[in-house]
Amino acid sequence: MGKADTKKSMLSAILPGLGSLAKRGLAGWLIIVGLIFVTAIIMITVISPWIRPYDPIKINVGPPLIGPSAQHPFGTNDLGQDIFSRVLSGGGIMLQVSLLSVIVCLAVGVPLGLFASYAGGVVDRLVGLVMDSIYAFPGLVLAIAIAAMLGRGVVNMALSIAVVYIPSYFRVIRSQVLSIKEMSYIEAANAVGAKNRTILTRYILPNIMPSIVVVATVNFADAILTAAGLTFIGLGVSVSVPDWGWDLTNGRALLASGTWWVITFPGIMIILLALGFTLIGEGLSELFNPRLEQ
Amino acid sequence: MVLIGIIIVILVMAGVVGYYLTMPTGPAVKDTLVMGTTDSVESCLDPARAYDYFGFEITQSLGSALVDYRPGATGSIDDIVPALATNWTVSSDGLVWTFSLRHGVMYDDGTEFNATHVKYTFDRGIGIEDPDGAFVGVGYGDIIQSVTVVDKYTVRFNLKIPFAAFLSLMAFQASFIVDPKYAPMHGTSWNISDVVVYTEGNARASNPMGLGPYTLKNWTRTAGKDYQMRLEANPNYWNASAGLPKTKNLIIKFYADSTVLALAIQAQEIDVAFRQLGPTDINNMKTNANLHVWEGTGAFIQYLCLQEKYAPFNETKIRQAIGAAINRSTLVNTVFLGQAQKLYSMIPIGMGGHTDAFLNLGDPNYTRTTELLAEFGYNTTNKLTFTLWYETSGHYPQSAQQAQVLKSSLEASGVITVDLQGADWPAYRGKRQNEEMPAYILGWYPDYIDPDDYIYPFVHSSGGSWIHHNYDNPQMDQLIEWARGNTSATARNSLYSQIQNLMVTDAPIIPLYQGAAYAVTKLKVKGVYLDITQVWRHWLVYVEQ
Amino acid sequence: MTLRSYVISRILLTIPMILILLTMVFLVIRVLPGDPVLLHFEKNVDPDVIQAMRVRLGLDKPLWIQYFDYLFGLFRGDMGESMQDYSSIGQQIFSAFPATLELAIFSMIIATALGVVLGVQASKAYNRPQDHVIRIFGIVTYALPVFFLGMILQMSLGLGLHLLPVGQRFNPAMQTPVGLSIGSLHFSSGLYTIDSVLEGNMYKLVESLRYLCLPSLTLGLVLSGVFIRLTRSNMFETLRLDFVTAARARGLKENKVTYSYALRNAFLPVLTMMGLQFAALLGGAILTETTFSWPGLGRYIVDRINFRDYTAIQGAIIVFGIFVSVVSLVVDLLYAYLDPRIRL
Repeated sequence: MGKADTKKSMLSAILPGLGSLAKRGLAGWLIIVGLIFVTAIIMITVISPWIRPYDPIKINVGPPLIGPSAQHPFGTNDLGQDIFSRVLSGGGIMLQVSLLSVIVCLAVGVPLGLFASYAGGVVDRLVGLVMDSIYAFPGLVLAIAIAAMLGRGVVNMALSIAVVYIPSYFRVIRSQVLSIKEMSYIEAANAVGAKNRTILTRYILPNIMPSIVVVATVNFADAILTAAGLTFIGLGVSVSVPDWGWDLTNGRALLASGTWWVITFPGIMIILLALGFTLIGEGLSELFNPRLEQ
Repeated sequence: MVLIGIIIVILVMAGVVGYYLTMPTGPAVKDTLVMGTTDSVESCLDPARAYDYFGFEITQSLGSALVDYRPGATGSIDDIVPALATNWTVSSDGLVWTFSLRHGVMYDDGTEFNATHVKYTFDRGIGIEDPDGAFVGVGYGDIIQSVTVVDKYTVRFNLKIPFAAFLSLMAFQASFIVDPKYAPMHGTSWNISDVVVYTEGNARASNPMGLGPYTLKNWTRTAGKDYQMRLEANPNYWNASAGLPKTKNLIIKFYADSTVLALAIQAQEIDVAFRQLGPTDINNMKTNANLHVWEGTGAFIQYLCLQEKYAPFNETKIRQAIGAAINRSTLVNTVFLGQAQKLYSMIPIGMGGHTDAFLNLGDPNYTRTTELLAEFGYNTTNKLTFTLWYETSGHYPQSAQQAQVLKSSLEASGVITVDLQGADWPAYRGKRQNEEMPAYILGWYPDYIDPDDYIYPFVHSSGGSWIHHNYDNPQMDQLIEWARGNTSATARNSLYSQIQNLMVTDAPIIPLYQGAAYAVTKLKVKGVYLDITQVWRHWLVYVEQ
Repeated sequence: MTLRSYVISRILLTIPMILILLTMVFLVIRVLPGDPVLLHFEKNVDPDVIQAMRVRLGLDKPLWIQYFDYLFGLFRGDMGESMQDYSSIGQQIFSAFPATLELAIFSMIIATALGVVLGVQASKAYNRPQDHVIRIFGIVTYALPVFFLGMILQMSLGLGLHLLPVGQRFNPAMQTPVGLSIGSLHFSSGLYTIDSVLEGNMYKLVESLRYLCLPSLTLGLVLSGVFIRLTRSNMFETLRLDFVTAARARGLKENKVTYSYALRNAFLPVLTMMGLQFAALLGGAILTETTFSWPGLGRYIVDRINFRDYTAIQGAIIVFGIFVSVVSLVVDLLYAYLDPRIRL
């Protein structure tokens, strides 16, 4: 088994074609629907500069605070910005933040988890202790502190979310590695003289891939919600970039006067995006743990 | 099983509703007013330390000062009325102020208020020298040399410098008279530890006041924020004969933000909502048949500061160009929905000495901007680019929206590009200290009601050093010092006119808007006065029967 | 490993964990931009005054001295003074924590009740429409941003139907529950529901429940998804085990089989999950507390970050951390006691 095999086994588990996914029952459907949500939103965000009717950050493109109408299908906010354009373009920040945080988590959390739990002993205990401490730290607070410390921006927000999430990867990987470690084929590999690194990459990693993928999808969903939360607290990105999280926060102040459209449409988009990832994660975890299927 | 569960839920709900309907509606105290606010006392209710809006609001309901502003004041010296002092004179050199005190004013333990209490209060405030407080912040120690007791009902202030705004200073909330019994000196001389702080479960010990219309009956703070306050009429109030306070019991409820406050007043859970409601909420409530929206002069201003230490704003003409490119109409109408006024001077509208000086720069005048910037090689293909900072903690109202509107207005000139950057208040404050921001928006609530308080702290080289914008013009300094010391109203007005014109020429700070003050109440609530003093007179508000 | 040595080793492990947490907090917040000293002054005062304030806040000493001072203070039970209003942190946290605890408990009750009931239903209707609907419900509620859901509930149930209060913890026209007083002895848990019962005042109980409704419903809904999934999968497995089939064969009623037999066995993982989710709840309460003006520890921390109130933030997070450790310790111990395989 090598890198290519790893990829192949992953692909063959995840992507045999949507048709056969659908045959897998509810789990398959969950994944399909989730993928549709996610890809649709990504596509919309990417092509938004070409399809949006107005510049999303231009103020007073229409009378302020008018409800959904012909000119402005999603209405306008207090600055007269068109909400429809903002909804089309506003996913960028969330997508970037969540993608970046997942990449950081994978790049840092996976190797850390692998080496620490495979090595065992003091190293494992020590790293585990630090991870537990981070885990015990209320997630949002840590993210707030780090975001406040690093300043604004997509990268900093992603980093703060990543730091909070790495312990989750660590835990999942650790429990998996611990059980695999004891298996006979690992003993055999050891007996044959295989290097530790080889064992990790060729034997252990492919087997824990499914769990990592599931955690990653949950990470995506959580990152989106946490990014929204951070913006809510006031640590979002600069206001000159359209962002659903900002619209949600801003719209909240308007809600009491009956202006429901500013918060509703971006809110729905955030929900759909988070939902998309969650559905994929749910579906995948059902697929990889078929104990309930008989 | 599910059926049983549903039945249980229905029974529980029925029980709850039943209890709720038959429950007595709170303590049957009639004469009670409930006010909701998003403010909170920041540190304490001791005038030696309190320096926040809400701390002041409560202090002035619990205490009295030598003089007061009459309701509906416009900020002129004629608006000062007697309170604990009935009469006063000032020497011709402006250095000695003598006050005759009211007789027969009693503290709650039967002691009669006299000149020694006045001396005590100011010696204490200046002696404690709490860096958190207004005594240091405004600089009482730089103004007052000493306070002497001439006789039982006469007190004399000897000043270090002639200070035209002295009466305003005496009406200022830090100048409220304390009750020595509740503000004792613990050591041999005044010390910061003598400041009276919040004491859990003991409202009386939590404040050193005593001569005001109310007494503090109950004060709960949870986790550093106010939760509830109860004030009760003070039977010994010196002005009780005028029927004050009008409402005997006052309950103040604290809300985390404007949304919850807006919902609460709309749901009629409170009688009065005051500070802070968003402009959309206020507009909305104007059309609510069950609520009354009160509007009054605000004294809160916001302004744009330009950093002169480095490019591009080290050039006067570039600063002027910015000033000419500000569209205040959009700002006032878009962000504040008309609930503010365009401001063309640092001195607020309605205050003596105000002139619309910055109108000379334009509002906006993009031709002027283009011309001025052209001298430096900026044009439509080579735009002037800089970063405008705004705070994100809600320290000022709608900062992010203001920033966006300013950006749009400046960019409409065609020769400017603005990048927006936000920081939370502590970081913003830190950046101001470190002079890292080329352009930033700040706000100002007055201390004492006088044009000096809107000029000295901004464009005087030492008075304005806290803004860190590095503006220094000796001519300006001289004008300001003359205006501070001169007690003649005509002379002062002329000086302030010159000062404002000089501000336009130098353009160190660009005034943006002056906010109006709003309160929303149930229809039967009367007696609300929103004037330039920003004093919320709890003792005048009542519910019509 | 015997139970006793497991208990001891777990408890011992908690201590270094808290220490690491403390160190992390200490360092992280001191790196935040913005000086708490400066936040006391709007206008410049002379450098002497600023220095005096720095000394007053204890920030003039070198970092490691500040660290050990704080550490030894903690051992003595002194969490220091707020850097903003100089009041005792211990007291502030002591008043804020029960609010969060009460919210967490009620949210947990709602989440578990909803989760278990729906999860059982789903497991029995496995792969049929009812199952799918319930699973989708669980997934969707989890994807809702907590403050979004909160606002919707506030608008609909609070303002629209005027049924429930939209913010705060208690009716300000009434005295807050004071708990039990016997002579000069006074006990109050800080949880308004319990204190009302101790006081014997039913109206206060109802009021505190009314105010608890929306916030705990919001949090509870969002959390229920996890319990739905867990209960569903565990129940499904358990319902197919031999002893259940045997019970059915003996002719026991289906409901009894489900709840008395199967659920009791499937409940253990749910219990563990409750413990784990409690930690998540304490952290997640921040957004809910802000939305509903709930005077808890979450809101406290957010407010204090705005003041760079180091001591307050440190204290609050330590309390959070200790509580989370204790809860997870108890859960681990409970699990180890009930299932000897886990003690490795």
